Amino acid sequence: MECIACHKGNKQGKTKEDAHKGRIARPSDNIYTCGICHIKTGQNYAKALHYTSLGQREGVKHRFSAEELKTFDKKVFENSCRSCHASCGSCHVKSPPVSGITTGLLQGHKFIKKNEGKTCAACHGGRVYPEFTGEYGGTPDVHYQKGMMCNDCHKKQEMHGDGKVYKSKNHVKDRPKCQSCHEDKGNQVAHTIHKDKVSCQGCHSSGQYRQCYSCHVVHGSKAEPGFILGLNPRDKKTLTTLRIIPTVRNTFEPNGIKMENFDALPNYWDSAVHNIKKRTNRTRSCDACHANREGFLKQEDLIKDGSKANDALIYDIKPISK
Amino acid sequence: MKTMRLLKALWVSLFILLPATVFAQGIGPIISTDDLAKVLKNPNVIVIDIRKVEDYKSGHIPGALGIFYNNWAPGIGNLKNEMPENDDLIDLLSANGIGPDSTVVVYGTTGTPPDRVDVTRVAWALKYAGVKKVSVLSGGFEKWAVREQREVSKEVVKPKAKPYTGTINKGLLVKKDYVKNQIGKTIIVDAREPAFFKGEQKLPFVAKNGRVKNAVNLPTIQVFDKYPPGEHMEPCCWTYKDVAALKNFASGVVGSDLNKEIIVYCDTGKVASAWWFILSEIMGFKNVKIYDGSMEEWMKDESAPIEP
Repeated sequence: MECIACHKGNKQGKTKEDAHKGRIARPSDNIYTCGICHIKTGQNYAKALHYTSLGQREGVKHRFSAEELKTFDKKVFENSCRSCHASCGSCHVKSPPVSGITTGLLQGHKFIKKNEGKTCAACHGGRVYPEFTGEYGGTPDVHYQKGMMCNDCHKKQEMHGDGKVYKSKNHVKDRPKCQSCHEDKGNQVAHTIHKDKVSCQGCHSSGQYRQCYSCHVVHGSKAEPGFILGLNPRDKKTLTTLRIIPTVRNTFEPNGIKMENFDALPNYWDSAVHNIKKRTNRTRSCDACHANREGFLKQEDLIKDGSKANDALIYDIKPISK
Repeated sequence: MKTMRLLKALWVSLFILLPATVFAQGIGPIISTDDLAKVLKNPNVIVIDIRKVEDYKSGHIPGALGIFYNNWAPGIGNLKNEMPENDDLIDLLSANGIGPDSTVVVYGTTGTPPDRVDVTRVAWALKYAGVKKVSVLSGGFEKWAVREQREVSKEVVKPKAKPYTGTINKGLLVKKDYVKNQIGKTIIVDAREPAFFKGEQKLPFVAKNGRVKNAVNLPTIQVFDKYPPGEHMEPCCWTYKDVAALKNFASGVVGSDLNKEIIVYCDTGKVASAWWFILSEIMGFKNVKIYDGSMEEWMKDESAPIEP
């Protein structure tokens, strides 16, 4: 195949300017470019979350009134959130642009099947990937220690979609679960006691992971390490690791959106952090939680002027009665 | 007759095992790519690639295990490059089938100054754990694969796990209070570059300029040479200087009393590992320790003596 098959342009052009007339820099932004041959993958990918970016919309839309949602869809979602979608080439040819910066071609212009360290890590490298490799402190995630990479848990179907449109990843049934590989054999007292009460990462997250504060506030965002345990906002029953989702009250003010229902959603969300370890402070000693309350979300630690829904995530852990 | 058969079996076993043992014994603390190639198939030698998993998977020295650097020197609390908790370290060694009597060769990359000292930091963690024979590859993966175009493999090597039985060498690591107490009594080596030693420069995460009071300077830049040497040659990597040159340079600063206690530090405890390795493993100083907290911790303590 010649370059122009995908990138178009003017084959007869004698100068660079002439030759580049009509050139398409990112041809796979149009799924049809790849989908003409990779029919099924293309069809699925057109509906996949990596392409639709619908998860970002779902994560915030319940803060809006019906009118505000219309404004959001028109002014913010299409112009901002959707501009972040991954094209086929973002994973298979050239690392995806993040804030306009890309680390370049993955391997010349060769199409490669996967290179998670450059592709997944480019977009998920602010928080998840460095947690996984231990670059934010703590030893690497136990799965990375064993030589596992993103695709060992997050399978092809998760990347390309299954042909259905989902509102967010939380609506997808077949997602990676610890239990898919780690069967509870009932031989660990701690596992039996905490079953359905604490998520696996609640105990097995090795410690601090990245928390982002003040995103979209005038002075820009700030990332700091932190470890937060609280109730899962999706069920309010399970204790789990929480990550700050830094939407603040004036995030969308420049777009004329006040977020009338801002307090409907909390600022802390359950997060399957990627710094899993066999041993942690909490597996080494019950006192880490039951006496010292290490990392537990407290009223005084809540972000300033945050959502009123944050209060419901605070869990008052009791000492062990002996 | 039975005795004869037993003797014959013993001779055959010796014949098979002897070369492996001799090779394993012949590995010095710094190993060249030529020497590593000779012992690569020796079952007593465990080669560890400490680059990131994705780099390991894209090609490594055949037979090497991939155990990324951060496993050996995680950030803990507010300090970078710390010794892992003992149980974590033992888990790591057990999972990778490394025993106290294994001969371990560590390699990584040598492109940047921090890269160059990764291997000695891992070697220090292995020695701390109680592994007796640890070597580092001179020139790293670049010399092996890029310059010398030796064989590389993409096959992920699965280690044979076995419980680790070694004993932790607690004496190789010292804490801040110990260093404070030893000022004036022992040799304290600052392994940073002269501008940092003199207090003219500091890294952003170090609270103040300066050095530990009474420290002497052994800059780590003195440890490596570009390879290949020569102004007109394009370098691929960095190798260790000639052992005689290293000894000569070090003895000029710390003397030659092998029984004298030496504490080495830098900014985070990583760079210090290069001179720790040379003093302890090559020159034979018997009592060399690393202050792991180093300047990152020391300079936050108002009561820690500093100069200038």
